[in-house]
Amino acid sequence: MTAITTAHKAPGTAGAGGSPARRPRRRPASPARRSGWTPWLYLLPALVLLGGLLVYPIYQLGLISFLEYTQAQVSGGEPTTFQGFGNYATLFGDSQFWQVLLATVLFATACVLATLFAGCVLAVLLTRVRALPRLALMMAALGAWATPAVTGSTVWVFLFDPDFGPVNRVLGLGDFSWTYGRYSAFALVLLEVLWCSFPFVMVTVYAGIRAIPTEVLEAASLDGASQWRIWRSVMAPMLRPILIVVTIQSIIWDFKVFTQIYVMTNGGGIAGQNLVLNVYAYQKAFASSQYSLGSAIGVVMLVILLAVTLVYLRLVRRQGEEL
Amino acid sequence: MKLSARIAAPAAALVLAGLTATACAPQTSDTSAQGDEKSGTLRVWLFQEVGNKPKEKVVAAAVADFEKSHEGAKVEVEYIPVDTRAQRIKAAFNDPGSAPDLIEYGNTDTAGYVKDGGLADVSEEFAAWDEAEDTDPAAKQSVTVGGQVYGAPLFVGVRALYYRTDVFEDLGIEPPKSQAELISTAKKVHREKPELYGLAVGGAYTYGAMPFIWAHGGELAEETGVSYESAINSGKARKGIEAYTSLFGDDNCPAAKCAAMGGNATVTAFASGKAAMAIGGDFSHAAVEAGSVKGKYAVVPLPGVEEGSIAPAFAGGNNIGVLRSSSHRTLAVDLMKSLTGKKTQAKMFDAMGFLPTYTDVRATVAKRQPFVGPFVDTLGAGAKFVPASPAWGQIDASLVLPTMFQEIVSGRKDVAAASDDAAKKMDAAFADAS
Amino acid sequence: MSTPTTRLRIRRPGRLAAEAAALVIAAAVAFPLYWMVLSALKPAGEIQSTEARPWTLDPSLDSFRRVFEQQEFGRYFLNSLLVAGTVVIASALIAFLAATAVTRFRFRFRTTLLIMFLVAQMVPVEALTIPLFFLMRDFGQLNTLGSLILPHLAFSLPFAIWMLRGFVKAVPEALEEAAYIDGASRTRFLWQILFPLVFPGLVATSVFSFISTWNDFLFAKSFIISDTSQSTLPMALLVFFKPDENDWGGIMAASTVMTVPVLVFFVLVQRRLVSGLGGAVKD
Repeated sequence: MTAITTAHKAPGTAGAGGSPARRPRRRPASPARRSGWTPWLYLLPALVLLGGLLVYPIYQLGLISFLEYTQAQVSGGEPTTFQGFGNYATLFGDSQFWQVLLATVLFATACVLATLFAGCVLAVLLTRVRALPRLALMMAALGAWATPAVTGSTVWVFLFDPDFGPVNRVLGLGDFSWTYGRYSAFALVLLEVLWCSFPFVMVTVYAGIRAIPTEVLEAASLDGASQWRIWRSVMAPMLRPILIVVTIQSIIWDFKVFTQIYVMTNGGGIAGQNLVLNVYAYQKAFASSQYSLGSAIGVVMLVILLAVTLVYLRLVRRQGEEL
Repeated sequence: MKLSARIAAPAAALVLAGLTATACAPQTSDTSAQGDEKSGTLRVWLFQEVGNKPKEKVVAAAVADFEKSHEGAKVEVEYIPVDTRAQRIKAAFNDPGSAPDLIEYGNTDTAGYVKDGGLADVSEEFAAWDEAEDTDPAAKQSVTVGGQVYGAPLFVGVRALYYRTDVFEDLGIEPPKSQAELISTAKKVHREKPELYGLAVGGAYTYGAMPFIWAHGGELAEETGVSYESAINSGKARKGIEAYTSLFGDDNCPAAKCAAMGGNATVTAFASGKAAMAIGGDFSHAAVEAGSVKGKYAVVPLPGVEEGSIAPAFAGGNNIGVLRSSSHRTLAVDLMKSLTGKKTQAKMFDAMGFLPTYTDVRATVAKRQPFVGPFVDTLGAGAKFVPASPAWGQIDASLVLPTMFQEIVSGRKDVAAASDDAAKKMDAAFADAS
Repeated sequence: MSTPTTRLRIRRPGRLAAEAAALVIAAAVAFPLYWMVLSALKPAGEIQSTEARPWTLDPSLDSFRRVFEQQEFGRYFLNSLLVAGTVVIASALIAFLAATAVTRFRFRFRTTLLIMFLVAQMVPVEALTIPLFFLMRDFGQLNTLGSLILPHLAFSLPFAIWMLRGFVKAVPEALEEAAYIDGASRTRFLWQILFPLVFPGLVATSVFSFISTWNDFLFAKSFIISDTSQSTLPMALLVFFKPDENDWGGIMAASTVMTVPVLVFFVLVQRRLVSGLGGAVKD
């Protein structure tokens, strides 16, 4: 461990300097990078697994989305037929699809922002408290994270039930029904999604903060910087790679929210007012084994998510962060 | 820029591959039978119930009898959670290697499984089976698709009207005798005791709403030779929808709370003392007994439109069918008969409270357990079944009817518009399936 | 073990307020969990009653009994442990190697690969179970624990690689150069220097892959078709779900039973998470 300590104390260590955000691009200089085959050797096990178990199925998914493929075809009862863009036409021709898409994008955005905000604030909070409160918060968060989604959603519905739930009683809301209004239903689901997904952000960002050399944070707080300033100009820039990952992951997961909506709003809310894309896909396709339509929806989701992610990554790159 | 170019290439390749590589089509399975062996191991999948032990005992006894009378045959029974049935059974259709010879299945799945090519046609054997003569017509309809029989009914489940005896006594009222009286009684109770729902109803409680449609002579769909055509927007059906949705409102069950409720929630409301009446099944009995209303309630058949008549109820329940891929067809059919025979069903009622599908057996057990009386009467008055079309699975899963009820009770659409929309969606599903 | 020097600079009232806030939030976050355990202990009729009390005067272990009485419950538990354990360890090692490759090396297709890792997570899993099912069938893996381990490993890898990339990147380049100057080989740097440094990241990642594998219902019910001896814990929970007659007590009890091992797992690894890099750099 001596080597590490020395290295860290060395002046000019990446990130420890004045403005880490504008760090110059790294140049391939170290000996490790000269060997052309080493990275592929490191990647080999991952690529073998992913090639067989993900790339191939995704290829099949694309293929199925152009066919007529229901359970009858799967079981061999009927031959498959080529549909061209028929499945996509069905999908785009449904006006409900567009409404659901809009609701999904707005809802997912709200979830991502809320989750990231709560996760980061609590991660910083964790660094400022002693072991006992820290353990308490960690354990509570982990419990929320570990609860199966079906159960978590059910418990939240119990808690907010207008007749049987304790929350309305405590808040004095009488028999206000959370799931009746479109926005209050989305708000309730958002709270549950926040509850079960902020722990991931909190734990990850906390682990990231722990990895920042103590000297850096110490220097900042010696300068009398406020917590917000420390976050803004020291922690956030250093945690950037981690923040990018948690943001992308949150986007992917929140866009694909299923169980919470399905359980809490009883399959999509009053007259489908709380449908999101994944629940819609389930109702349209998977529950009735219309795999080709389901695959088409899957491909559409993939394209949308990919677009969102690429836009985000470009924004990040423009600010000087390399992928 | 570079970033998008790099991803564009593989993405385009993926799409292109999909367009051109139809030669390498996705896989299908061959599920036709391999012969008809007269000995060997038969595999059976039954649903795992909460508190499964008594069911296991009854099944074990039936299996022991079967093995005794069929030399060389062995039976392996596996219990699967109901919630996993869709994946498991579809998987069994796709992988004959893991497929059992017999399965228990929910009767609304019959048409879908037949269309998927998974169930064997047992019409001849069923017709030649003496015990089958006493099978309740609604139960028989639930194993019949396009005139052919694809299994034998194991039990039926049916709903009736639970009501609070103490509340009714308090207000000096009698259980309702007609649908109009049911509605007025519900509103009266809520007026007198505003903390109670008169009749707990749910916008997502399709099976609780169906009797209202049927009582007015309406239908969900009409058979048109090869397929079905939705009848949910017919005049009679609309009257039923009107009647059911009139129960949502501040004078009985406020839409804000009741529009979202399903069957579970209405029974919970009743069991916890929040409702004076509810439409519950024979299978809800245990939940109500465990609630705070124990000893303060009774059950009567749900009244129809005419005074003293009974509204046709939905005949739910499970069947047992033979898989098309079974290589022991004769043995499997024999085992199906002993698992669904009168003797086993009578024992199954004692063990699990499942209502027998034979009219004579049902009458006998009703004498032993008076609480099933109203349910037996309901079945006796003629229960009905959902359209025997594979499209029903899709209609059910895409919540066509709950959406219709919810659109009406939340004031988004009137009965005519909502039922027209629902009919359109149903017809699209029927067209897809045929 | 944490960073006492930093702490000293934070004024006491500030820290007390922070601690109070942490405890209040912890209580709020834990409340639904408490309600879950409470519902598992309440007698059947009390779970949803008009008197929603945050305690019960009549606790009953009936719901837990229904969970444990299931046939082969112990077997499910061991299977779940085996699947989740294998996935966590294998995915941590494989992802660590891959993350190092895409972070510390420049090579062609690097960005494409990174994007592909993301793409893999964007497809709804339901859509992928069909092709995966046929894949498993053709390799004769159906009804084996392998049919759960392999897809979970594959699904946890892209995420783990992305996560670890951030942590590997955070390790200063200067450190690597210093190691080589000290005469360390590439392998030695990888396993003896880099690996311990990204350990907190590995822990955070493994918590994730553990939970997602442990709680999985979809693969468990799609690939384990005819051999219940290969089923995992979620099967013991699914028994309580039935159309129109859910057994809430059983659901809550089974969920409690499923959540406890995750918390145990976390207690085991959380000290590593806290002391991981901070400790390594300090001493």
